[in-house]
Amino acid sequence: MDAATHVPAPRADLFDPASLAALGRIEIVARWIVDGFMSGLHRSPRKGFSVEFAEYRPYQPGDDLRYIDWKIAARSDRWVVRQYEEETNLRASIVLDVSKSMAWSGAALYALAGAEQSGAARLTKLAYAERLTAALALLLLRQRDAVGLVRFDAEIRSAIPPRARNGQWRRVVAALEEPGAGRASSAPVALEQAARLISRRGMIVLVSDLLMDIPDVERAVRGLRAAGHDVTVLHLMDPAERDLPSGGEAVFVDPESRLEIAASVADVRAAYRQTVDEVIGEWRTMFSSIGASYELIFTDTPFGVPLRRAFAARQALP
Amino acid sequence: MSLLAPLYLLLGAAAIVPLLIHLLRRRIGARVDFPAARYLARAEQEHSRSLRLRNLLLMLLRVAIVLFVATAAARPVMRLAGSGHGPTALAIVLDNSLSTTVVVDGHPLLEQFRGAAREILAAANATDRLWLVTADGRVRGGGKATLREELDRVEALGGAGNLPLALAHAGAAVRAAGLDSRQIILLTDGQRSAWTQTTDVGDVQVVLWLPGGVPPINRAVASAEARPERWTPRGALVARLMSKDSTTYRITLGDRSLGRGTASPNEEVVLRAAPPERGWVAGTIELEPDELPGDNVRHFAVWIGAPPGISVSPGAGPFARSAIDVLKGSGRVAEGRDIAIVAGDELSSLPALILAPSDPVRVGAANRALERVGVPWRFGVARRGEASVAGPRAADASDSLASGAFVDVSATTRYELVAQSGADADTIARVGREPWIVAGPRYAIVASPLDPTATTLPIRAAFVPWLATVLTERLVGEPGGIVAANPGQTLPRPRWADAIEEETGARTALGDDLQAPARSGTYFFERGGRRVGALVVNPESSESVLDRLASRELAARVRARQLLTAADRVQLAGLSFRSAARRSIGEPILVAALALLALEALLVRSRRRGAAAA
Repeated sequence: MDAATHVPAPRADLFDPASLAALGRIEIVARWIVDGFMSGLHRSPRKGFSVEFAEYRPYQPGDDLRYIDWKIAARSDRWVVRQYEEETNLRASIVLDVSKSMAWSGAALYALAGAEQSGAARLTKLAYAERLTAALALLLLRQRDAVGLVRFDAEIRSAIPPRARNGQWRRVVAALEEPGAGRASSAPVALEQAARLISRRGMIVLVSDLLMDIPDVERAVRGLRAAGHDVTVLHLMDPAERDLPSGGEAVFVDPESRLEIAASVADVRAAYRQTVDEVIGEWRTMFSSIGASYELIFTDTPFGVPLRRAFAARQALP
Repeated sequence: MSLLAPLYLLLGAAAIVPLLIHLLRRRIGARVDFPAARYLARAEQEHSRSLRLRNLLLMLLRVAIVLFVATAAARPVMRLAGSGHGPTALAIVLDNSLSTTVVVDGHPLLEQFRGAAREILAAANATDRLWLVTADGRVRGGGKATLREELDRVEALGGAGNLPLALAHAGAAVRAAGLDSRQIILLTDGQRSAWTQTTDVGDVQVVLWLPGGVPPINRAVASAEARPERWTPRGALVARLMSKDSTTYRITLGDRSLGRGTASPNEEVVLRAAPPERGWVAGTIELEPDELPGDNVRHFAVWIGAPPGISVSPGAGPFARSAIDVLKGSGRVAEGRDIAIVAGDELSSLPALILAPSDPVRVGAANRALERVGVPWRFGVARRGEASVAGPRAADASDSLASGAFVDVSATTRYELVAQSGADADTIARVGREPWIVAGPRYAIVASPLDPTATTLPIRAAFVPWLATVLTERLVGEPGGIVAANPGQTLPRPRWADAIEEETGARTALGDDLQAPARSGTYFFERGGRRVGALVVNPESSESVLDRLASRELAARVRARQLLTAADRVQLAGLSFRSAARRSIGEPILVAALALLALEALLVRSRRRGAAAA
């Protein structure tokens, strides 16, 4: 195959999340995402290529040309890339919020607002988060990082210690399919649990809608940072949670706390939008002040975007 | 502000709808799961003040819109400064009675009224309905220009007119116009004698203007009449003057002065004369001019002729003969054949005083004689037995032939007087219900002989004067008389006249009723082209009494929806069309409601736009 005439396959990481998720199970979708993501990189994400050679693998678009084995290419007319056994020095743990607030999409609100804005095909925050988590885990594992998973709502639902061995990703994906949807989010406990699972300094990725009190989260993250962990927060938000589509009078019920707010959307929309911006700003400021990365992710954003941001955070680590 | 349709205010109850929506709005709408409800709660908490203010403003706007529409439907009207006036039915009652010709400050009072009326008409517009009503009750309608011309043509009446009637006519006119705004401007001197009754003009606003000041002292001729009505040729003019001091007077007869003199305050002037004029003659008595010249002249009329020659037949009896002799001695009558006093059976010609025959067997001959000379009466069956004689009924009481002549007169022998077809006669005296003395053209019939055995009339003191009156006023000359009237007064037509002479000399045929001319003067009645009497038109003597009512007193004599009193002409002009200056403000309120509606729509749109932009 001529590299110059190679036509790149469509990149799954840039697909509409809902459309992509409809095509297969989590692990399949996650693979597509990661493959697409990797093909979009201009050089291999691997580090420490001075270490011991491990194996060859077929060339994939995006691989650094320096690692192509030209001898094999000349001999067998196959393009392969040399891979080296890098010593894993990162232990990452993904902390996933599976509370009831995450199992929500803005479809109902858009339905109230009218047919012109339909959110019926949008993923719930949890569905989005699960696919993002699977893809992120796969991406890290492909870099020989050790990846663990902590799922939590009011309590810890699953806790998989970080491992880099084969089969770890399958365990992660299987854990994602376990039930959750509790009536509260106890992120501090989950974050502490994740820290306990990482025996040394590592990376903790919190995937949550952050519908919780800032001081509690701040305290926990500050503790993680004090322990030397790098913390990345992926703040998931349905677009309807920011826009509050127009829909006349309604009684808005918090599915976790059962808090009921009766409001005319037209009356409060501007104020609500302003409040949401303020809250986002408060989260951003808080995380920034304690050295944690913070990214706001909307559930209609292609998976490649948050993945890139999380990967960039990973790249910033030694 | 007042409301023309206040029931529509009930629509204002609909204002409760936006109020209820405002209060109940938090209880409506679908329930939806929304995890970020905490942000919503925070937004409401942080912006609740502005949200509540805006919602409150919207609610108030909607309530105000409903109330404005309800108020506009109730047709509110109010007086707006500088806004002109709406369509008005306005009648100006102009007092042009004689008393308003009094000169005050060098000008007749009527001119002040005319000027005030002009100012009011100047403020009228094309949508107004206008009338000018004068004191005689005449109503003139038309536009502003027409009424200005009419106003210029209005002249003072010769008498009092009928101001309450004029006011009532004005009320009827403006009420019939069908306009909401109705007003009467009453311009009057408030003469006490003119406003003796209360007038109800109904649902009309009346603006009253009385001139200020004290009326001047007035001199007037309160009455003037010739006594007797027919001078043969001797008679007297009796006049009563009204004056607080002595005044000079002048009496004219025809074209010449009959006499002049000076009278003491309120003196009765008597002028005896035997003038050479003959026939019906007009005369006046005049005082020196004063501030009210209209009552300084009073008219009278008199018939003047030579003493009639009387012949008394033997059958008339000694009492008639003796009475005529007495009258001859006084010069009232003369010996002659102008008038005969005869028993019925001796009648051969007219004019005649016909007595019942003393012998019942002569009745047939008497009736034949009556038939022969064309008298439409016959003697009927004899009536015997004493019965009282009564004078004429009240309607005929003015007849000088009967006034006081039949007191204590009775009849013991009499004949029934039977009218023939075409009988046209006055009943001078009656016995019971039957006529006893009747008088027609050139004849008088007494149903008893002038004999004390038949009636006590010849032996009563009033007999001779009565006989003189019958002879000199009823039977002499043509039948007719003097009718006194006030200017504009309507009277029954005298039976003995068929036409009346105008001042210009033109003849006007008489109808069933006779309306006296508006100007004072003497107008002669005619029959067959010959003068047979006179219509003497003089102002009411009460019109010369210039005492005025106070505004409050006059206001008590007018019943209206509202009565306003103007202190002067400026205020009068300000009050004119005032009821219409209460213009409808329904349209401005509707415009305000629309403006509020637009404001509400803007608020809602800005809210939606803000929400959409967010």
